[in-house]
Amino acid sequence: MSTSMKPLSGVRVADFTWIGAGSFTTKLLADFGADVIKIESASRLDTLRDGAPFKDGIRGVNRSGYFADRNSSKRSVTIDMKQPAGQALARKLIAQSDVVANNFTPGTMEKFGLGYEAVRAIRDDIVYVSMSMQGSSGPEYKYLGYGLTIGALTAMQYLSGQPDREPAGTGTNFPDHIPNPCHAAFAILAALRHRRRTGQGQYIDIAQTEPMISLLGPAVMQWTANSEVTERRGNQHVAGSPHGVYPCAGEDRWIAISAITLSAWRGLVQVLGLSDLAADVRLLHADARWERRHQIGEAIADATRSWDADELMDTLQAAGVAAGVVRDAAAIVTRDPQLQARHHWVRLQHPEMGESVYNAPAFRMSGAEIGPYSPAPLLGQHTDEVCQDVLGMTKDEIAALTEAGVLR
Amino acid sequence: MIQANGGALDEGTSRTTPLVGALNGLKVLDASGWSGQYCGKMFSDLGAEVILVEPHGGSSVRRDGPFLDNKPHIERSLPFAYFNAGKRSIGLNLDSLEGRDIFKRLVARADLLIESEKPGVMASRGLDFASLSASAPQLVMTSITPFGQSGPFAQYDSEDIVTLALGGLLYLGGYPETEPIAAYGNQACLAASQFAAVASMIALHAGVASNAPSGRHIDVSIQECVVLAMENAVQFFDLEGTVRKRNAGHQRQAGMGVFPCADGQVYFMAGGIASNRFWDGSVQWLLDEGVAGAEKLKAPEWKQAAYLATDEAKKLFASIFTPFCRTRTKAQLYAEGQARRLPICPISTPRDLLDNRQLAYRNYFTSLDHNWSGRALTVPGSPYQFSETPWRMQGPAPRLGEHTSDILSELSIAPERQSVLLKAGVIQ
Repeated sequence: MSTSMKPLSGVRVADFTWIGAGSFTTKLLADFGADVIKIESASRLDTLRDGAPFKDGIRGVNRSGYFADRNSSKRSVTIDMKQPAGQALARKLIAQSDVVANNFTPGTMEKFGLGYEAVRAIRDDIVYVSMSMQGSSGPEYKYLGYGLTIGALTAMQYLSGQPDREPAGTGTNFPDHIPNPCHAAFAILAALRHRRRTGQGQYIDIAQTEPMISLLGPAVMQWTANSEVTERRGNQHVAGSPHGVYPCAGEDRWIAISAITLSAWRGLVQVLGLSDLAADVRLLHADARWERRHQIGEAIADATRSWDADELMDTLQAAGVAAGVVRDAAAIVTRDPQLQARHHWVRLQHPEMGESVYNAPAFRMSGAEIGPYSPAPLLGQHTDEVCQDVLGMTKDEIAALTEAGVLR
Repeated sequence: MIQANGGALDEGTSRTTPLVGALNGLKVLDASGWSGQYCGKMFSDLGAEVILVEPHGGSSVRRDGPFLDNKPHIERSLPFAYFNAGKRSIGLNLDSLEGRDIFKRLVARADLLIESEKPGVMASRGLDFASLSASAPQLVMTSITPFGQSGPFAQYDSEDIVTLALGGLLYLGGYPETEPIAAYGNQACLAASQFAAVASMIALHAGVASNAPSGRHIDVSIQECVVLAMENAVQFFDLEGTVRKRNAGHQRQAGMGVFPCADGQVYFMAGGIASNRFWDGSVQWLLDEGVAGAEKLKAPEWKQAAYLATDEAKKLFASIFTPFCRTRTKAQLYAEGQARRLPICPISTPRDLLDNRQLAYRNYFTSLDHNWSGRALTVPGSPYQFSETPWRMQGPAPRLGEHTSDILSELSIAPERQSVLLKAGVIQ
């Protein structure tokens, strides 16, 4: 029998990450019990703290919802890393940590005196992860960008969209949200396992382009093995028909349907009352449905237009057809019965923002108490607490460093 | 010193033992399909021993293209070859009593089981977590399903595009004038694989760290994985009451978006993200190049978000930048813009990736043998570089049932009994 516990309790992370991919990496650890201490600076703010949306639309370093969701369960200390005394504090914190994480441009940590070799001198078995845009060295290692340009550089954007229009991508900084944080968190946990077994720490270098490309293996191989460039195909990603996104009643309402098996096809034409298609025995053949996919797609769209999207989804599912409403943000937060039943949305009380919505992790784990345990920290909220509890400093020492502008 | 292949160079010393991956010694059973096989690959590439348990006729991923030489065949699927590199394959019918028995014996030796059956299917076979962990208390079982094990949609049918829809990412993709367009490449399933890998490692960590090894069941919802890709759309609704929409084919704000060039397109963020940090540098670039009209971009309104959001600003920017852009290649714009520390990137095609000098420097692409054809295929390599514990594909993807007999022999099932099981349709 396992008892409920925070699975990563006992792991401490000295967290120098900021903005998107880095902050989400350490959130994945914090929401499972790691003590993630975010080292911030009032003079060099995490730009996500200044990123919309803001509570009530009012800008403020403690009011960004984007920042909040990506930094749940963490503690924040403010240290001026430009001052030698600030760097000395960071070294003390690292000495008490298992993991050091950053996603700066290469060279930034070295400027603080906190490159891997320097950190290793403080704590030999540290797991040190750097996740810059293009890796720690090479002809383009200093090139800059964001999730959007990484999506472009990695071919993700090229591959997504309509064939006759400009590449669409995902419409988001996709690599920041899934590929990079998941790969980085997995790498950290794997390195911690190795350390547990051997006592050996290590350096992990992640280029934020590479996890994304690793998810595009089949498109890479279509070129390297077959000398063909994979082109955009709209929503027709699978070798089967019908498969696509169709309009529903209301403004900008849509449903995704995939009915490529015979039984799903029968269910679909019956629910939509497509009697002509249902009577066409040639369409009982998968290859005929493929040949006539454009005609079929138009017939489906004509029929779905008058349906309420949720009602159509439920009716199609009851008939054995894979169908899902295209949820917008409002619907997903307020009206998705599945996410509600799974308690995906967690409302946390934040000292300045009041109650706001956070994502629960994408998975549940038996015998574990999982987060988010606390809302995003205020800038420097835990400076005194960490200095006392983790670094063993006295109140006088803390006051002196605050006075000197080292802690701010 | 870090080598590109992830091995460490200790100058002046020589190693007497070969480097092993960080997950060396872990035993993983991968009984999954599209939503879990990349998870199994992540474990295998760091040194875990991964057995792919395939149903009768083989994994469904074998039926997805593209196929080698465009010849559809279950041994020529490129996705299968990629996502299952380094695994061993056993063909095992879990709907037979004998197959379940063998499966339980494999579970008894495993640290981790990855599976993606519809909720209830494993229980109907007596292979749910409660049953398995009774005789395998160490087991971490990671179940990946479209909507999770519980809730009103748990039994709903799905496809990648269905979970992209219900997970909110689909609505953000595509052009305002057309239906939403899904991300390429089964990204919902792959997102689930990645979160499953993280979840599994957390559970394995907890099992060891708690000093009382205890199994855990992980319940991954693909829908919830997709929700985490919604960026700030959820918070925009929650905090400001606005619903983010799709915007492909248009500049997000003036100076930010896709622009056509001589040999394709580039993505340019003239101001940066939600700020104007790079604006002056971008304008200076155009001035230095003598671009007609660039002077206009120096006016103060170009620093105001409200102006950048107008159609007038977007049109004016495009009318100035695009003619210049069309005179340059992707590579030229990338090099020239980045030399000025501006956020610009090519819209790479898959082919371009193989010509990317930064990826080449890092030895990112690697060679993977393909069993059936005897060819060596160039594939994406290490997504992370470890200084001490190398990332390494352990070998080609298996043929269907390639290791069935070896694995059964390891369970001390004699060849004669194996032939009975093959004849009875239990193994393949």
